[in-house]
Amino acid sequence: MSGVGRTSFGAAWALAAVLLFAAGAAAQTTAPGPAEPQTRKNAAWDGNRTLPVHLLPLRDENDEPIIPTETDPLPYSARFTCGPCHNYEAIKGGWHFGAMTAKASGRPGEPWLEFDPKTGTILPLSYRKWPGLYDPKAAGLTAWDFTLLFGRDLPGGGPAEPSEEEVLAEPKARWNVSGKAEVDCLACHNRSGRQDHSEWAKQILRENLRWAATAASGLGEVGGMASRLKETWDVYEGPNLDDREWAVAPSVEYKPADFDSKHRYFFDLDYQPSDDRCLVCHSVTPKDAERWRTDMDVHAAAGLKCTDCHRNDIRHLMIRGYEGEAREIGDPSAASFTCRGCHLGEDASGAKTVVPGRLGAPYPKHTGLPLVHFKRLACTVCHSGPKPREGFTRVRTSRANRLGVYGVATWSTDLPAIIEPVYARNGGRKIAPQRLVWPAFWGRRADQTIVPLRPAEVVAAAGDVLEPESHIGQVLIALSQVMAEGETPVLTAGRFIFVPNVDGGIDAADNPGSKAGAPAVWGISKNGAIAPLVPDFDPAAEDKDPAIEARLQEFLQALGTVPAKPGEPVIVVRKTLYRFVNGYLDISEAPAGLVGASGPGWLVRDRSTPLVADFDVRTVTAKAGTEQTLTEEQVSLVLGALAKTGANGRPLYVSGGRLFELDKAGKLASRNDPAAEPVTWPLAHDVRPAQQSLGWNGCTDCHSGASDLFFDTIKGAGPLLTKSVAKRSAASFMGLGGLFQRVFGLSFIVRPALKIVLGICGVIAGALLLLAGLVALGRVAGFMEKR
Amino acid sequence: MLFIVVTILALAATLLGLAFHRFWTTRPEAKATILYAEIVRMFFAWLALRTVQMSRRASPRAWWAYAKGLPLWREPVLEKWLLAVLYGSFLYLAASGFFFAVFIPRGLFGYPLVGHVAAGGLFAVCLTIVVLFKGRDFVTVPKPASLSLSLLDPRKMGLTPARVRLWAFWLFAAAGFVLILSALLPMLRLLRTAGQREMFELHRYSALVSIVAAMVFAGLELFKRPRPPAA
Repeated sequence: MSGVGRTSFGAAWALAAVLLFAAGAAAQTTAPGPAEPQTRKNAAWDGNRTLPVHLLPLRDENDEPIIPTETDPLPYSARFTCGPCHNYEAIKGGWHFGAMTAKASGRPGEPWLEFDPKTGTILPLSYRKWPGLYDPKAAGLTAWDFTLLFGRDLPGGGPAEPSEEEVLAEPKARWNVSGKAEVDCLACHNRSGRQDHSEWAKQILRENLRWAATAASGLGEVGGMASRLKETWDVYEGPNLDDREWAVAPSVEYKPADFDSKHRYFFDLDYQPSDDRCLVCHSVTPKDAERWRTDMDVHAAAGLKCTDCHRNDIRHLMIRGYEGEAREIGDPSAASFTCRGCHLGEDASGAKTVVPGRLGAPYPKHTGLPLVHFKRLACTVCHSGPKPREGFTRVRTSRANRLGVYGVATWSTDLPAIIEPVYARNGGRKIAPQRLVWPAFWGRRADQTIVPLRPAEVVAAAGDVLEPESHIGQVLIALSQVMAEGETPVLTAGRFIFVPNVDGGIDAADNPGSKAGAPAVWGISKNGAIAPLVPDFDPAAEDKDPAIEARLQEFLQALGTVPAKPGEPVIVVRKTLYRFVNGYLDISEAPAGLVGASGPGWLVRDRSTPLVADFDVRTVTAKAGTEQTLTEEQVSLVLGALAKTGANGRPLYVSGGRLFELDKAGKLASRNDPAAEPVTWPLAHDVRPAQQSLGWNGCTDCHSGASDLFFDTIKGAGPLLTKSVAKRSAASFMGLGGLFQRVFGLSFIVRPALKIVLGICGVIAGALLLLAGLVALGRVAGFMEKR
Repeated sequence: MLFIVVTILALAATLLGLAFHRFWTTRPEAKATILYAEIVRMFFAWLALRTVQMSRRASPRAWWAYAKGLPLWREPVLEKWLLAVLYGSFLYLAASGFFFAVFIPRGLFGYPLVGHVAAGGLFAVCLTIVVLFKGRDFVTVPKPASLSLSLLDPRKMGLTPARVRLWAFWLFAAAGFVLILSALLPMLRLLRTAGQREMFELHRYSALVSIVAAMVFAGLELFKRPRPPAA
């Protein structure tokens, strides 16, 4: 009996063990997190690994079916088209949509960078509580502002889909006109090559929020611009009958051929979005890199998709793949999607509790790599991003530099300047490669708290101080109207030549042969040669060329169109004054006030003033050929102007790692300040192949007296043209002493000799010990009786 | 954590063992009774008294005088400096290694680590030379053993202080050899992570063995010779 009892008990234990193992295995292999409760409304996976055909009736935001042939149909709504099978409310809280409501922020990620070149603003923002970033609300941005600023890279939802309470709380927003941008399922899951991010960006720019998903996915063709409509317009009003040219109401036109007889549309979808869809917003590329020279991430090269590791359930809480995430989100299975988990089978504490080798991940050899590296460094230090090199690698990201928006206009920008890899400690106290950007913004300090100012507020206070490019551009554009074919109006000053651009500003180029202090001269560029705008001639000469004065009349006419001109345009040649009066060229002797003047100008109180102020010329000449958009003189003037506005708090400007304020004497002074510290966030991709990892060539890849990893210097970069920038050593970001690392690095010069010495010592000592042992053994055994 | 516990226990046991040996061989009252409890009581009383006495006498000047009185300085010049470097490097290696291992969670790092690596090289060279030229002085001439149960009787093993001292020397040399090996191999591209981990543990434990052997050797060596003259 007892024997039977033991057997039964043992079998029960074995069964329990098998069940436990099976449960554990299931926990490791199924989607992370507790299972999403599936209501009857929502589709549940039946276990088949195929994707159902998505031939669906489209529904609009009122949950009404869309008949593609009817007049003025509404755009499709993901909430009501996808929602019947997929829990839209659960999806709304996903990583890409729920930043405003998320309880935990997780490891820092790329911030939203508000970039305004005119005011020199590069403000890092995020709704998540990450160090160094500003909450958009605290920075004065409403959800509406945020959507218009960054909506091009938002996949809908979040700030682009505010609640009715939030809409009512933003009286200046135009949600009623634009609608809300719902979560755009197709932005990621559309397999169709017609999915067009550029179209999405364009629709957001036009404030066509509710139409953006329909237009971007190619479901329908969207026309009109909500941004040009009155704030009283409502989508149910239909077309704007008062204006069919300019303020055209947005509308959508579906292609009936894309629908079947039951008005169902075929969605060509991916369960796991393709990498292209992720890279729309997550591309990072070295600045000035040539496409054919760039490699892809080794995981992508091995055939993995982004979503093979960055998985999610219906809640769309993406696994981000960093160590410690599993603990943070309370899902142990997430640990197997970290580098360490997948390749080594270890969790963040190093315990071998994780199922390794997912999707064939190889087990790394790491031969000869001291253990301390695993304790102190994230895997990405050696394996990800560009290798450390002098001056770091300047990169551009989709979101910060507006990459991936194609069209006639150039959307991409070089600024903000983001560099990588900066090795710094992350929240887990391990050193990890990071991307870095220096913040730049105007603000006010009150009670030791710095509040950033909105660029519009700065522009309003600054007056003309921030407009030099605009002033010169306006003159050049005005003159462009009367240029002959092949001619371009230019301004030459210093070593540069300035020409108008399509944005109403100016572009600078080197002016060969000119000197730094050369005065400003208006001219005409033709076939590479530059002639003065007003040629030197004698107005009193009888044989003067009449075409010259006809040209002067054209110039005066053109200058008359310059907006906000300070006076009447005039041209003074020697002692003759040319004016354009009542449609005719008026030629008269220059009054006493104009003696000494020459060339074009404005007549202000009987005196001739230059077409643009010396300040404008000085400013644009100083900035020409640089990335900077502000001079110290401009910053001083703007700080002075901000101080006079009467608002609370001392005005300040942050750039290049320094904080600038006016001192008591009214001079610009700078100092270090926590607000000027750079913002960093860890990088993980692209992962390089093993042969390109740090350490492949030995310890001296990092440990040498001149290691870029430790000893490179990071200089503050920002929109302000100044020598007063912060300087930090690379080692300082790691919390390491530079001197020690240099000593330690130099010790690797003698490391090969040490190995040889230890090897020789080991061989000799080992041989002697072996001999002594053999002798002792021989004596004990009686083989050797005497010495 | 296990290593810390083992280290503390091993060092404490060695110190107590050496102290008891001193007590047993020098104090007549130790053999005045056959009651273990009485012997232990007398031992700890003696130990406490000696500790107080030594701490009262201890001072930098006394230590300096003691160091100057070591027979090491009376050796020929080459041998003198060889042993001085061996002892010095070993002391630094032991001090830095065990201090960081026991008291600093991060382990050995920074300048002490650089010093540890440099001292390790010196120690390896000196140890090899000592074994090569002095090892012969520590080769015993045991009798051929006979196969009998007496081999298992500790009282018939001939465990004299002199023999323990010899074995301590060879244990120290062997541990030194393992230390050299476990320092060298991780520097070569031979071992994977698991091997590195094993070597790291081997290094620590062989260091513990070497310091225990050194303590036993030094303890017995110091006890067998007359006290140095007072400073």
